[in-house]
Amino acid sequence: MSGLAILSKAMIQERKDIFLSILGGFIAGIAGVGLFSASGYLISQTVFAPPLYTLIVLTSLVKLLGLIRAASRYAERLYSHRATFSMLSRLRTSYFAKLIPLTPGLLNKTRSGDLLSRIVGDVESLQHYFLRVAYPPIIVVMVFLATMLFTSAFSFWMACLFVIGMLATALAVPGIVLLGQRRIHGRVRRQRALLSAEVTEVLYGFRDLKLYGQLAQREQQLQEASAALAAEQRRAAGHLLRGQLMHAFVTYLITWGVLALGAYLIQNGSLAGVFLAMLVMASLTVFEEAAAMSVLPAYKQDSEHAAGRLTETLKPPAEPAAQPCRSLSAAHAVSMELSAVSFYYEGERRPALRDISLHFPPGSKTAIVGPSGSGKSTIVDMLLKLRPPTAGEIKMGGVPLTELEETGIWQGANVVLQQGHFFRGTIRDNLLLDGDGYEDGQLTDMLAKMHLQHVSLTDRVVEKGENLSDGEKQRLALARAMLRKGRLWLLDEPTSSLDDVTEQRVMRHLFEQAADDTLLLICHRLAGLEAMDRIVVLDQGRIVETGTFAELMEQKGYLYEMKQIELQLIGEAGE
Amino acid sequence: MKRKTSLMSQQMSAQRKNMVLLAVLSLALGAAIISQAALLAEAVQRIFVERASFSSVVLLLGTLLAAMAARTLLSYGNGKIGLRMAADAKRNMRAAVLRHLTHADMPSALSGQTGGKVSIALDAVDEADSYFSQYMPRMMEAAMIPLMILAVAFFQHANTGFIMLLTAPFIPLFMILVGLKTKAKSEQKYEQLAEFSGTFLDSLQGLVTLKLFGRTRRQQQEIERSSIGYRDATMGILQIAFTNTFMLESIVMLSIGIVALELALQLLVFDSLAFHTAFFLLLLVPEYYSLLKNTGTAFHSGRTSMGAVRKVDEMLATASSRSGLADSGEGAAAKAGTQAMASKDGCRAAPAVGSALPPALELNHVRFSYAPESFEIKTGRIAIGPGEHTAIVGKSGSGKTTLLNLLSGLLHPASGEILVNGCPLVEYDEASWFKHVSYITQHPYIFAGTFAENIAIGAGRSVSRTEIEQAAEEAGLAAVAAQFEQGFDTLVGEGGRGLSGGEKQRLALARAFLKRPALILFDEPTVGLDLHTERILQRSIAALAETATMITVAHRLHTIRNADKLLFMENGAVVDSGSHEELLKRLPPYAEMVRVQRKGGMAV
Repeated sequence: MSGLAILSKAMIQERKDIFLSILGGFIAGIAGVGLFSASGYLISQTVFAPPLYTLIVLTSLVKLLGLIRAASRYAERLYSHRATFSMLSRLRTSYFAKLIPLTPGLLNKTRSGDLLSRIVGDVESLQHYFLRVAYPPIIVVMVFLATMLFTSAFSFWMACLFVIGMLATALAVPGIVLLGQRRIHGRVRRQRALLSAEVTEVLYGFRDLKLYGQLAQREQQLQEASAALAAEQRRAAGHLLRGQLMHAFVTYLITWGVLALGAYLIQNGSLAGVFLAMLVMASLTVFEEAAAMSVLPAYKQDSEHAAGRLTETLKPPAEPAAQPCRSLSAAHAVSMELSAVSFYYEGERRPALRDISLHFPPGSKTAIVGPSGSGKSTIVDMLLKLRPPTAGEIKMGGVPLTELEETGIWQGANVVLQQGHFFRGTIRDNLLLDGDGYEDGQLTDMLAKMHLQHVSLTDRVVEKGENLSDGEKQRLALARAMLRKGRLWLLDEPTSSLDDVTEQRVMRHLFEQAADDTLLLICHRLAGLEAMDRIVVLDQGRIVETGTFAELMEQKGYLYEMKQIELQLIGEAGE
Repeated sequence: MKRKTSLMSQQMSAQRKNMVLLAVLSLALGAAIISQAALLAEAVQRIFVERASFSSVVLLLGTLLAAMAARTLLSYGNGKIGLRMAADAKRNMRAAVLRHLTHADMPSALSGQTGGKVSIALDAVDEADSYFSQYMPRMMEAAMIPLMILAVAFFQHANTGFIMLLTAPFIPLFMILVGLKTKAKSEQKYEQLAEFSGTFLDSLQGLVTLKLFGRTRRQQQEIERSSIGYRDATMGILQIAFTNTFMLESIVMLSIGIVALELALQLLVFDSLAFHTAFFLLLLVPEYYSLLKNTGTAFHSGRTSMGAVRKVDEMLATASSRSGLADSGEGAAAKAGTQAMASKDGCRAAPAVGSALPPALELNHVRFSYAPESFEIKTGRIAIGPGEHTAIVGKSGSGKTTLLNLLSGLLHPASGEILVNGCPLVEYDEASWFKHVSYITQHPYIFAGTFAENIAIGAGRSVSRTEIEQAAEEAGLAAVAAQFEQGFDTLVGEGGRGLSGGEKQRLALARAFLKRPALILFDEPTVGLDLHTERILQRSIAALAETATMITVAHRLHTIRNADKLLFMENGAVVDSGSHEELLKRLPPYAEMVRVQRKGGMAV
């Protein structure tokens, strides 16, 4: 499984800690077996009244082994957990890094609540892979082999019995557990992801649910999902419990076997009776060491599933291998060209854009207008290389977009998206996303230009900017774009939530700054279009008409009709 | 709704029957453990010391096997009960959390990070598992079996009993000392986890913005930092736990060593002990300590669970204190209501909305602010007649949306009151009030599901497909659905097809058409849409508003012109109200707004 390959790679990075934990585990195991065997032997020896010093040596040995065992167990735990949690934290970060190139396409496919549960829950459950699947078998096998060597010195048949015991505990019991596990198979995790996604949705859609009186019903659904999760978890834990007890019973059975076989062998005269107690004690201990094996398959499957799901999210899109190498010059305004570009959203037959050819000369000011869903925003997404065109070619500054480095484009463009995101933090944090050095004075000037005098740089912004009004968010997004030094402006309905007075003032500042730059404005209002060099009217993914405002008005086409509606509305309101 | 008892004690009292069962099983388990050791010692005695023939020990070996089987089954029983308790407790606790989340009021629903809340509902509750599945059964076993073993030891050989008795207290002592530290640490871990969850979800949703601003690397570092913080918090707890076990193991080893030495001396030097007894004790002693030691481990996980449960408790407690505030607020309002009742007849404890539709509204010196230092909504006395269409006008950020939230009943005024048909809004039953209200927000939430399901949410009852399609038709949504292969069965929302702003608002309209509300609240209904969609909306809104009282937050002169009354807002205050013509004459800021609109906006 490719998922687990990632884990193996992560483990190599922590090899030192892993080696130390295996060493610690082995010493602890051997010391444990030695300790209990020695105490069994000690008691048996007393029957023969040996000299006192034998006794003293033996008891000291018992205590020494006890301390060694405790200390090396401590080392094993510390190193293994440190290695594990370092790996996990690295995995989380790299998971996020791998998600970056997959947006925005990914968020259309996965619920973000589900993603959250994946990265937190799945990565968390991967700790079991390191702690219970990867290295314990190595320790168990090593301790078993050592014990077997030790036993074979006393009796061949006893050693055979230990081998049977080893096979039963290390193979048979885990095998049986695995068979049952197949049935349970990740149902817990699916149920958990489902609940997580549903809780997230209820929290985000809270207001609408409350208004539509749906909260009670949603709560009912959540309660059912929660009960189902608890039941699945209980079933899974019950299965593990059965595995553990099966293991315990096999251990008892082997001890019983040692006793029975011992009785027979002693009667035969092929085993000295003094070793019987020692062997009984050894068998009780060595199988205890192997207890981890009974739960191993469950964890293995769990981790495989988690790793599989993590990699599934990260399935890379079928992208051309051509490595972009050229960067966009930011020194002067760029030209842009779309030739015969079409775009289909995944799983849709209807193209979002159909055969679009447009040329934007350097320094030009273009507006794209059209009904919602006509594909205006998709053009911006493609120019920003957020989505590759399904067909056709896009050039920027004469260079095909596929050969341009995306970070170069982003650096050279001042972008306002329809739904810009605001992060938890301060206004300053949100203004300086790219971390450019600006004086506070410059920032407050910019806020003033955007009519945000009432906002201070240290004001808190909550998650998703929920404490800002839509108008404030749009003006902040504009301020954020205007603090950048690109020569290309891509503005997707930047002022839709502003009242006309504010819009007019804000846009005046923007146009002053962008006087010599290439500018693409997507807008819904037809006011102010006279100032644009060219207007492109889109409808259902097609270009309906292009031209200056005056030309299109004269033409009496689509734009003219839209303007008539607008004028009529205003005229109606006017006198 | 004050919660007098903590969550954990509530759970414990619910589990009393299971506890008794645990106690009985633990008693039997103790008996099985002692018999197993006794039989094992007896067998070795016979075989090794007495050199008995194999056939003479067969019966003994058979009994031993039976004791082993009994022990296994009893452990299994104990484990099963623990799991049942854990499942019940988790279900109940999560039920409380979910009830809290779904019954929250608006301000508390908006505050805090969503990711953090989800993490409490899932992770913190799951963490409570080990308290019931591990801690409780282990504690019960530890309370009974060691005592039984100790009694046997005293009975067999008092010295061993004394050694066991003297060393035993060290184990709980260490546990308590270290456990106290663990508790604080585990709460810290939860803070870290909640922070990590929040950072991640926030970053994920803003990933496109982050990409464009070249901030992904920094955000990645942020995630790395918060992830490492989480790791360190976890390691902090674990390190304490490991030191804890190391100490316990050392004590146990030392004690077993002392017992063994004493037994050997008795056997050898004083010759006062039979081999059988000595071996029996030697087998029992590790069982005794391992039970106590298990308690230590269980105690630790119990502590961790308690930390997680505290988080859940805290979350539920904020609810009660918050709703307590709301209660007192409502109490004040109710008092005002009682005064009003003296003068106005027909205001009973829970007035029905259905009596007079569409409703008349009255704002009576309403004051509200989100936080003490933020700006305040202020109104005078404003009456809105039944079926009247009111437009709220003002610059963005002047508090229009907040006023709409107050009118909808989602937010409650801090002072003053909103009267509906003459009765204070707070006295209405919330659910039946919302049945008559449609609130079309700037960003209606689209749930993961099909188009049809999303529309049907509006009805609040089961509706036929024809009704849904009819509503979609009226909202101009039928054409949108027709473009998709699966029509109304197309999946939308998160995980489905994304909808444009105009499509979302039309979907909200379709919901409203199903609902046929008596009060319509529109938040900037024409904002962010092109003229084509706007036309559909205007037409549909007009149709909806024929039978309803409507209040609109509007910038469009078309909407304003059609309104019966305007409320003009500035910095949170309703400055003036009246008709379009009246305000045009007497309110210069309003006249300025209209002038710009008429000129055609963006003159560059």
